[in-house]
Amino acid sequence: MPDTILVIVEQRQGKLSRVSWEALTAGQSLAAETGWMLEAAVLGNGIASLAGEIASKKLSKVYAVDSPRLEPYTPDAFADALKPFIASRHPKLVLMPHTYQVRDFAPKLATAMGRTVISDCVGCKNQDGKLLFTRQMFQGKFAADVSFACEAPWFVTFQNGAFRGDKVEAAASPAPIETINAEIAESAIRNRPQEVFKEAKQAVDLTQAEIIISVGRGIKEQKNIELAQRLADALGGELAASRPICDSGWLPMDRQIGSSGQTVAPKLYLALGISGAIQHIVGMKGSRTIIAVNKDSEAPIFEVADYAVVGNLFDIVPPLVEEVKKAKAGA
Amino acid sequence: MLVFRKPLSGIERPQMPADVVIVGGGPAGMACALRLSQLIDAHNSRNPDSQLSKENIYVLEKAREVGQHCLSGALLDPRSMRELLPGFEKEAPIEATVSKEAVYFLSEKGKFKLPITPPPLRDHGNYVISLNRFVKWLGGKVEEAGITVFTGFAGSELRFRGSRVTGVRTDDKGVDKEGNKKSNFEPGYDLNATIVILAEGTRGSLTKQLINRFNLDWNSNPQTYGQGVKELWELPPGRMAPGEVVYTMGWPLTTREYGGAWIYGGKDNVVSLGFVTGLDYQDPRLDPQHVLQEFKKHPFVAALLEGGKMIRYGAKSMPYGGWWALPPLAGDGWMIIGDSAGLLNSQRLKGIHLAIKSGMLAAETAFQALVTGDSSSTALSQFRVRVDSSWIKKELWKVRNFHQCFEHGLWWGLFHAGLQQITGGRGLRNRCPSTRGYQRMKKLADLPADGGAEAHLLGPVKGDGKLTFDKLTDLYHSGTKHEEDQPAHLVIQNTDVCNERCIKEFGSPCQSFCPANVYEMVDDATQPNGKRISLNPSNCVHCKACDIADPYQIITWVPPEGGGGPNYDGM
Repeated sequence: MPDTILVIVEQRQGKLSRVSWEALTAGQSLAAETGWMLEAAVLGNGIASLAGEIASKKLSKVYAVDSPRLEPYTPDAFADALKPFIASRHPKLVLMPHTYQVRDFAPKLATAMGRTVISDCVGCKNQDGKLLFTRQMFQGKFAADVSFACEAPWFVTFQNGAFRGDKVEAAASPAPIETINAEIAESAIRNRPQEVFKEAKQAVDLTQAEIIISVGRGIKEQKNIELAQRLADALGGELAASRPICDSGWLPMDRQIGSSGQTVAPKLYLALGISGAIQHIVGMKGSRTIIAVNKDSEAPIFEVADYAVVGNLFDIVPPLVEEVKKAKAGA
Repeated sequence: MLVFRKPLSGIERPQMPADVVIVGGGPAGMACALRLSQLIDAHNSRNPDSQLSKENIYVLEKAREVGQHCLSGALLDPRSMRELLPGFEKEAPIEATVSKEAVYFLSEKGKFKLPITPPPLRDHGNYVISLNRFVKWLGGKVEEAGITVFTGFAGSELRFRGSRVTGVRTDDKGVDKEGNKKSNFEPGYDLNATIVILAEGTRGSLTKQLINRFNLDWNSNPQTYGQGVKELWELPPGRMAPGEVVYTMGWPLTTREYGGAWIYGGKDNVVSLGFVTGLDYQDPRLDPQHVLQEFKKHPFVAALLEGGKMIRYGAKSMPYGGWWALPPLAGDGWMIIGDSAGLLNSQRLKGIHLAIKSGMLAAETAFQALVTGDSSSTALSQFRVRVDSSWIKKELWKVRNFHQCFEHGLWWGLFHAGLQQITGGRGLRNRCPSTRGYQRMKKLADLPADGGAEAHLLGPVKGDGKLTFDKLTDLYHSGTKHEEDQPAHLVIQNTDVCNERCIKEFGSPCQSFCPANVYEMVDDATQPNGKRISLNPSNCVHCKACDIADPYQIITWVPPEGGGGPNYDGM
């Protein structure tokens, strides 16, 4: 029996991850070079149809490692299911896509088996019978070829995009599928996953805002931001700021306008207490109408402003909020 | 709360062996790498049986691209380049050959042209270059020669074993403002090197670590510096011929400050102009960026610039302590070259040719060490012997006392410079002492409140937006950019000194000497003086003035995350 390459295919909520095909392509090309067998495994709960999907590709066998305890994903359950499975099939090489999930469980699995992982590889080759895996160093300036000095199984993960997922070869006839009912003790699982966290949609997309109320140093203190917020609420606009405000942490970075932040072009840009250094101006000069409020009549912001209000924003904004509210109520 | 950059501790770092690591890819570092490559190529063709590899020779460069942090006037004395690459003029980016030069002495409104150009300022045969373009070209040669240049990587620490330098640690990437790892964290590498060559330019941060650790400068004159602030202008055609060179002395400085201006005509109606102010002025409120703006208001300069457009801005300090301020140039596993060593001729305002020559001599020394396998202090001290027997010493020896004498004011300096000219550099004594620039700074209490004769040079400039510019507008034209979410790379030992002492004693000169508005005293009612130091590190243009001029010497400039910094295209 020749040596075996095992590709661990990732699925999430019943869908195969696209990058898994890339790992499979890598497996196919290595198998062609080495003459080894190519197998794949997919883990989850009730995943027969997924296994079928994988079996349509050119490989020698597909395992569906099945257990109710594999859903939802936990690193404990995955490592616990894979360790005896790999130990009994003793593949020479275990290939995985370098996903967040794999980064999570692969070190634990390899350590549990007394092995090491060559992670985030961008290529592989068979040089005179020795398998070399290419890793980037110095942010891609260098490529290092690394090989295993330990006994098999060897664990390798591949960087997203290192291989062409669409180049995975289909099989003439489907590969056999074997279902493995993994036995995972409940006590083995120490993690209690909560709802899957979806990265919050960026709270604000300033580039889409029609009205922007922007504050600068003139706002003086963090607690005064609330004043600008009231004006923004009254006008139905978004709050933004110049760099010093975001730098002090008074508003999040994604509300920063200027050369080191966002470039915006709303219908109305209301600048409160912003002096108007060029670094800020380049981020908002495309606004249709610019109203600037500043104590200093020589502030450079007035050079780009359509309406200049020379005065203290603390005197001007509160009555403005009231007037806007009144006007809106009347309308 | 300010968190300052330092290499993270308790983490595992990738280790890489290296034969030679050159820290800094400026003219010195690139010349060094290229010469080393030439010597290895020659050796390999002579000795087919004992080949030397270039694979483990690395240049670290903190800029994202080679040359992006290089700023100079610049005039190039081609002597060393002709030794390094005979016939280099055919392919190097040269703006113009110097065709005409003049030296003016300026009063507030008038000017007086020196009837003859003093010999040190005669530049016929020199080239006007953009150092940025020149180094970019030279860096290309280095890479073609098969030497690896790591751009975007700074040397953050030297590694030591006993008295030996054993390598360089590069910067940690992906560390946030609070000093925590971000998701893109990548630890700095340990390059374990047989030989480390420091070519960091002016006031090198690793050079400073090395000198302080072994007190290397115990027998040197203190290094003194000037602050060069430069603007690149595009002028209407016909204003200034390519290759035309103007130097000025006098206005806007008074006779108490050391400094002067240059204006060089380049290609395509682009003119380089700048002002060097000695970082040994007395009034802490003096602002070198302000000095340049005042200079431009002089009728002579204003007429030249009328109708033109400022296109780039930048600043850099320069070491002009000269021969007596040189630290030891080599030791156990290390050498220092170029501006990091202080190899600059302050009388001619030129250092590029010396940087290149010193890089070549260090390369010859390193090559010997690679061949013999001996990189001990004894072996590498041959570098100093090479410098001493080269034209570097001949040139610097003649001007060994030049800058020191200007510490007593302009008139004394000029008199003494003349005396040196006829005594082969000796003047009144063989070795004139010098004072650290920051020690000459006076406290506000000892200065006229209105600034006296220097009033026109103090504090921030408003600028008219055409001829003169406020600092932030100038700064915008430096193209400087940094990852915002990282610890401050201006390491202040104790901010209480800023908030409690400096503000009262000196009036926070960091706000004035910094050409990039990095330092700012912001209102803070909880502080005894109502203000607190705040840093804008992402404004930094890497000039090092703060590290040099701070009167308490509590600021240490360390490299920010690699890749950040100014964009000195064409400077």
